[in-house]
Amino acid sequence: MRASSRFKSVFLEQMLMGFQLSGFPCRTMSLPARMHAIKLSADVAMAVARGSRRWTHGLIAHLSKKEDKSFLKCILGKQYERLTMPCYSSWKIQRCKTILRRSFRERFGKQKPAQACTLARSLVKTRAQVLKRLVPGGKAMDGYSLLDETMDYVVCLQAQVDLMRHLLGAFEASKLRAQTKGTSSQGRKSIKDETDGNKKDLIELCMHLSDNA
Amino acid sequence: MGPARCSGVGSGNSGAYTTEIAESLRFEEEIHSIVHPSLDSSPAAGGSFTALLGLPANQAVELLHETGPSEAPGSAAAPSPTGELWRLRLGEHAAGPLHLPLGCSPTFPSNAALVERAARFSVFAAEDSPALSSGGGPSPRLKAEPLDSDSPPLLPIPTEKTQRPAKRKECEKSKAKGPAKKSKSAEENTAAAAKETAAENTDGEKLPYVHVRARRGQATDSHSLAERARREKINARMKLLQELVPGCSKITGTALVLDEIINHVQSLQRQVEFLSMRLAAVNPRIDFGGLDSFLSAECGPLATANGRGGVALDPALWSSHPVTANGARWLPQPQIRHVDVWPTQQSSTAWTRDGPAHPHALLNPGASLVGYDPASSVLLNSNQLKTEL
Repeated sequence: MRASSRFKSVFLEQMLMGFQLSGFPCRTMSLPARMHAIKLSADVAMAVARGSRRWTHGLIAHLSKKEDKSFLKCILGKQYERLTMPCYSSWKIQRCKTILRRSFRERFGKQKPAQACTLARSLVKTRAQVLKRLVPGGKAMDGYSLLDETMDYVVCLQAQVDLMRHLLGAFEASKLRAQTKGTSSQGRKSIKDETDGNKKDLIELCMHLSDNA
Repeated sequence: MGPARCSGVGSGNSGAYTTEIAESLRFEEEIHSIVHPSLDSSPAAGGSFTALLGLPANQAVELLHETGPSEAPGSAAAPSPTGELWRLRLGEHAAGPLHLPLGCSPTFPSNAALVERAARFSVFAAEDSPALSSGGGPSPRLKAEPLDSDSPPLLPIPTEKTQRPAKRKECEKSKAKGPAKKSKSAEENTAAAAKETAAENTDGEKLPYVHVRARRGQATDSHSLAERARREKINARMKLLQELVPGCSKITGTALVLDEIINHVQSLQRQVEFLSMRLAAVNPRIDFGGLDSFLSAECGPLATANGRGGVALDPALWSSHPVTANGARWLPQPQIRHVDVWPTQQSSTAWTRDGPAHPHALLNPGASLVGYDPASSVLLNSNQLKTEL
């Protein structure tokens, strides 16, 4: 199950836009700050590219809690309002569940311990809770939708890793080329060659990405 | 779960729902026509209930069995990735329950079987109606229904009827499960396929009542049916996840598979962090200033003809953006474009450099390589910047 190429293209574009907006050319930013900005823009790009899913809403809500909202607003533009809309229904599920849990506890407080099925169930329960913490917005999901969202999230994460790796490769290649050519010659001609070389490099990157998609 | 999905999924599915609602209206008519037995003897070409029940039992059973093979592709298509999941929704049974008059049972020899098959047929007819309309003739593959399986299903019918109104009063989430319990089928294969499609299709807003048949030798209690349907839904999802996560297909047992999934998700998240760190280390030379100028230059010819994507500019943002040394150099001023989901957003401010700008088809279904060009502009700018300094 791979992400579609359209998703990847949208993702890439959004991510680069995010890089741009986060004030990258400003070189006074320290490494951790830059890393944070990159990660933020990558996450936002992923959420925007995916569209409207529970985990995307959860992710953007989580990010807007941590970060300043102005930056997010810049990146998202009009979609900010749409994507940060709170899902009231998800709260309802959580409330229902807490009520149910309480009632179950009262009713089934004294059960036979250490049955195989209950043991397995408790193991699954703990793991499901861990997964809920991992997947953004997972706390308000029940078992089935949690698995659904996890699947989607995993696909998108894989695409994100893929894209970032290729981007990194392209940047590093161009940097290498720039370094080797920078030592050699001067003037505009060499720059033109560099740009052509970089273009080729990026065209290769695009081809590679589109092949993978 | 229903309303959450409703808000989460968005408006993209509205188109699918209207056809399903139309289908459900058609079925309402058919359901009513069952109550008033004005039965045609015409073959069930259109797949109507009345036509089905008008046939002799054998032919009807054959016809209904034809839904078996057509369900299989439905269920195979069900686990297709991402957005496809949402498209396989059943139409609404606006009428709700089938008012099956048991008084007309003497008319047909295997009424119970027929009725449940018909019910199941109705549920899947949203997907299968094209198949059924083509399969009007008797199918070559005739499978006789085991007669002893008729007796247990007779029991659930009255329980169905009594429990349905009770279930309607429950909250929507349990209502989602309630109808899902009622999926019955005699064969193992079609049972599995049927339940999968039923389960996946009913996992959404406003669910119809899915009629289930208990398998042989299993309890027909509604609770256990519900449990079973739920478990099979979850198992189907787990199988998909197993395929997704590498190295998981050999593992049996939910807990271990979940372990693997958790590890995979954590490793992916860590990889993202690591890659972002490396990108940050590489980045100081790279300037994204001329991104959009490059975009317009190169992406114009590449942009798809589907001009749905809109472009909106944010001049306020641009003014606050730190003007790079490169910015002055690039004669078309770099711009920041927000791509809207909704079309028609072409900004006409001073920032619009290229007049009737190519609507940047960002969220268009057709755009394939459009997004890749920004990457090239990045490197162009890096070299430009280098020469300036």
